[in-house]
Amino acid sequence: MQTRFHPLPPILKVENLSISYATRHGEVEAVRQVSFEVNRAMTLGLVGESGCGKTTVAFGILDFLGPNGRIVEGSIKFQGRELVGRSEKELRILRGDQITMVYQDPMQALNPSLTIGEQLAEVLIVHRSIPHAEAWRRSIEMLERVYMPDAPNVMKRYPHQLSGGQQQRVVIAMALLNNPALLIMDEPTTALDVTVEAAVLDLIEELKRDFDTGIIYITHNLGVVARVCDQVAVMYAGELVECAHVKQIFAHPLHPYTQGLMRCVPKLGITKEESRLYPIRGRVPAPQDRPWGACIFAPRCDYATERCRNERPMLQEITPGHSARCFYAGEIDPSAWQPSEEIDLPLPGTQTISEHETVLEVGNLKTYYEQPSRSVFSLFGLGKKKHIKAVDDVSLHVPRGITVGVVGESGCGKSTLAKTIIGLESPTAGVLQFLGFDISMPVTRRDVKLIQQLQMVFQNPDSTMNPAYTVGQQIARPLQRFKTVPPHQVYDEVLRLLQAVRLDPSYYDRFPSQLSGGEKQRVGIARAFASHPELVLCDEPVSALDVSVQAAVLNLLLDIQRRYGTTMLFIAHDLSVVRFFSDMVAVMYLGHIVEFGSAEAIYAPPYHPYTEALLSAVPIPDPDAAQKRIRLEGNVPSALDPPTGCVFHTRCPRRGMLPDRGKVCEVEPPPQRYNTKEHYILCHIPLEELRKMEPVVTSS
Amino acid sequence: MFVGDYMTRHPLTVTPDASIVEVQGIMSENNVRHVPVVERGKRLVGLITRQNLRISPIELSSLNVWEITRLLSGLKVKDVMVRGKDVITATPDTPIEEAARVLVTHRIGCLPVLEEGIVVGIITESDLLTQLTNLLGLQVPGWRATMRVPDRVGEFAKITAAIASKGWGIDAAGSLPTPRKPGYWDVVIKISAATRDELVAVLEQIKGQELVDIRATGP
Repeated sequence: MQTRFHPLPPILKVENLSISYATRHGEVEAVRQVSFEVNRAMTLGLVGESGCGKTTVAFGILDFLGPNGRIVEGSIKFQGRELVGRSEKELRILRGDQITMVYQDPMQALNPSLTIGEQLAEVLIVHRSIPHAEAWRRSIEMLERVYMPDAPNVMKRYPHQLSGGQQQRVVIAMALLNNPALLIMDEPTTALDVTVEAAVLDLIEELKRDFDTGIIYITHNLGVVARVCDQVAVMYAGELVECAHVKQIFAHPLHPYTQGLMRCVPKLGITKEESRLYPIRGRVPAPQDRPWGACIFAPRCDYATERCRNERPMLQEITPGHSARCFYAGEIDPSAWQPSEEIDLPLPGTQTISEHETVLEVGNLKTYYEQPSRSVFSLFGLGKKKHIKAVDDVSLHVPRGITVGVVGESGCGKSTLAKTIIGLESPTAGVLQFLGFDISMPVTRRDVKLIQQLQMVFQNPDSTMNPAYTVGQQIARPLQRFKTVPPHQVYDEVLRLLQAVRLDPSYYDRFPSQLSGGEKQRVGIARAFASHPELVLCDEPVSALDVSVQAAVLNLLLDIQRRYGTTMLFIAHDLSVVRFFSDMVAVMYLGHIVEFGSAEAIYAPPYHPYTEALLSAVPIPDPDAAQKRIRLEGNVPSALDPPTGCVFHTRCPRRGMLPDRGKVCEVEPPPQRYNTKEHYILCHIPLEELRKMEPVVTSS
Repeated sequence: MFVGDYMTRHPLTVTPDASIVEVQGIMSENNVRHVPVVERGKRLVGLITRQNLRISPIELSSLNVWEITRLLSGLKVKDVMVRGKDVITATPDTPIEEAARVLVTHRIGCLPVLEEGIVVGIITESDLLTQLTNLLGLQVPGWRATMRVPDRVGEFAKITAAIASKGWGIDAAGSLPTPRKPGYWDVVIKISAATRDELVAVLEQIKGQELVDIRATGP
């Protein structure tokens, strides 16, 4: 128990910071009067949707605002000294090497043409004037500190030879080499797999304790906030709207915006029937459209009164250590909240599932990619051919009207499965039937009628839309191609579809570049549903979107599905979203479905050991929930040379449950054990043993 | 119990070229009394304490207000600091009692903590005194009992055995030779699991030892 009688001064103290950018529309204020403190060994979470000024605050601290950005007023005190108003040279001396930043994409922070070792050692050689050999030794130590396996050899490798999680570890190691007083992390785990993310978050937590570093953690993921942050500052449209300890903010969110954010995220452990996502209506106003003498959130707030529209609320302390920028904070009871009529919610009730009508039948499907061999023999056609077994022996039976979720880490074959079904890849072997027709041929040889019935919503709405065509033209295209409606009705049908995805007719003539991410995804959905398809494949449709937009898009998909009775295959890595959205869930690992069952069955014991590990890695937006801590070692092995026996045996944390430390897992492929008629697990461990496991998440 | 565990990491530092007025501001605003002076790469070159910033009374009496201001505004950290080789330092693996001895014998208030010439922290009198309070369990509410025991092997074990037999835990313990009574030691233990009466009953039964004092302490 370490307490201090005299509190230490904060590492960073930001007071009334306002930042603006000079643009074509004149000077635009991106951050307005933001104040917060960061102490030693404390993580401050900066939360909010995109465009709320989180990163701008970080760049303000680092003086990375660029030629058109400037600090208008306020003070930033780092280690007791004022940073605002100093020359660049003075700043460099003051800040020195004591503030570092970790970005979202580790690949952009590493130099691809230098080895990891050169890049790490350089930090110490340049900043600390430490001799090369000593710098090298310390770099290895730091890599070991961030649990990099085989650190001395990693030093000799180049960034592209490491996986995403390993690259991010290198970046974190690099940031810590100087022993900085302040570490700013901007969405450091957003680009990582859930299992890798869990390990990196554990690491951040541990390093904060060991190095007494103050951390500013920028994220939009409330689950991550609950896991790593001590203090949370919620930003909206450039203003700080609420600030409190993480437990307080989750237990009693005071500001309507924070309350709204919490209603947007699906909770793990709540089923599709009983859970509702409530998106916040409207969107974050652009910096030039923000009112000055009014509450900035009022246009989207359900509690807004005349006062909110005419007077700007100040950040005030409501309970000790908990402040909010709202006139009515403390008076609002979030449990009494009712969705306003402006929010579109999916129709209640479930869609009709007809067990007997099979839409998609996948039987022992294999999709292999041939790998060119480097051997001399292969030049003469004598070499052995190697195959990447992206999808290996997958069987799936999808009845009409159902949603099947597919989850797994990247590299597990989820997308290849989708591509094979849609016809972009040809299956190597196995049965692939859609509505009773064989669809194992590539998409170019499929009948137009078949293509019409089988559509896809893509992950990245940016890259799937032609920037040169208007929204209306893009949606009209499938209508003309498939002749869904007679030519003279195409325009009306497009408007109807736009309305179905909650976009008003004025969007018809807009170009993709004039739309926000959520709107683009809506257009993508409208286009996929234009031909009234029987089956829609959704490949990570919401992972690129903000939480409130994500909620709206998920609701929209649910609604359309219920209205048209469409069958869906929903691929995602976020297990809480999959749980919310799917009736059946398939857990994939290295091309195999290792567990399949109803959503309820997957999220309760018995679990496949891999499912258990995935569930324990999901960040849960509840700091009080107890979650089992199982971390998988290493990465998904190469599908070029998958492990023998059970493909998961190299990383399985439960092998010890079998006699002889699971010798059998290395030799024999696991049996398919049926828990119920519709729930099977591919594992050597008997179901009775698996049933004895505790549930992964227990909420208090 | 090493300096590395209890020092303040990331201490405030200043550069040799900073002005005295600025440093004074930083020190009073952050309520610190010692600031290591570092140059590039956080290498220690000196130390500023409140004493360095004081103008001696003799000098003061000979100057008028304007001259004092002029004198101060021209002064830089490097003009008044304790110079590098004269600064007494510690390393993270110095035991805390050793650090305390150095502070007392040199009559100084702080030790910059260095790792190969680079400042990694600072340890002050207050840090060490804070750990004294932790050592005797001030941070946990409970009973602080003082036992006077003969200077013999096995006496301490009697106390721990008596406490352990009840299933209680000892939150903190420390012992010193009894002042002005050779041949005896005073052992202080901190117990939070028992009531006062239960604890007294157990401690008074230990043969050959005396319960000198029992009181409640806590934060």
